[in-house]
Amino acid sequence: MDIISSLAIVAFAALIHASFQLSVSVLTLMSGHAIGAKTAHTKLLRLTNGFLLGVLLMTMLLVAFICFVLQSSFGSHVPYVVWAVACGLLLGLGVAVWAFYYRKEKGTSLWLPRGLARYLGERAKATKQSGEAFGLGLSSVIAEFIFILAPMVVASLVLIQLEPMWQLLGIGLYTIISLLSLLVVNALIGSGHRLSGIQRWREDNKRFLQFASGSGLLILGFYVYVDQIVTATVTAHGGF
Amino acid sequence: MTNPPSIIKREGKRPSEQFERSKLHSSVRAACLSVRSPEGEAETIAKNVSEAVIAWLETKPEVTSADLRRKATAVLTSFHPEAAYLYKHHRLII
Repeated sequence: MDIISSLAIVAFAALIHASFQLSVSVLTLMSGHAIGAKTAHTKLLRLTNGFLLGVLLMTMLLVAFICFVLQSSFGSHVPYVVWAVACGLLLGLGVAVWAFYYRKEKGTSLWLPRGLARYLGERAKATKQSGEAFGLGLSSVIAEFIFILAPMVVASLVLIQLEPMWQLLGIGLYTIISLLSLLVVNALIGSGHRLSGIQRWREDNKRFLQFASGSGLLILGFYVYVDQIVTATVTAHGGF
Repeated sequence: MTNPPSIIKREGKRPSEQFERSKLHSSVRAACLSVRSPEGEAETIAKNVSEAVIAWLETKPEVTSADLRRKATAVLTSFHPEAAYLYKHHRLII
């Protein structure tokens, strides 16, 4: 696979990651509590930036960790069975996201264990320092791990086939693109938009976001399956 | 209010507690501030909502926290629909 195709897959996987909403929900909730408690605007920005930094760092660490584990296990030549498992993960998660991502009630509640959701809600309310916001950012990525695992694994499988320099660039690219939705919400909050408007938009468009995330996972799974398994198998047997 | 009613929390899964005007006032005020209302306006709305809810509670020995929230949301909607939206949905964000 050439470098452009590899980075395109990494970018697409990161876009799918960006469409998942837990971190955005936590950021919205944390900002709501901070604004409601008359926190000064500069301190609010410190909190949201601390949160963003936590998400950025944990995302980068997770992708780097998965790359390390996969490269230690398979080197730079990934067996077909591993690609097949990754495609299965993408397709299975895609169908699951279509069916279950949001709860069937008003608001933007996700299919997370309620205890975990309550904990994140309470932490968002209790967050007063940028260090706590940083920790909340780290935790929210962990809480979202079940959804972001598949795109991270596929991005990592693609990255470990590249030169080390391109691997670093790819990890950076994945991290930045996966943060896009948070960066947009952060900019809206920082520029003084009402949280009710942001939350109302999210609620009105939640089915579209759910459809986009699930479809993205299915498209990526199908593309990677054809590109890495079908094409490679046919070529190996002298076809085309 | 001479004899404040009991508030049954989360369908009885958490211990009941006496109604406290200050808690209602500060939660409504925070909802108004969250949608960037000026502080004076937030105070006035919180006071009006608290009074309307207390009048509604006068004849009730006990209510659930969900009913209390519904009533407060209904009153708040007439003063500030955006704040009422956040007040109603803040538990349904995550």
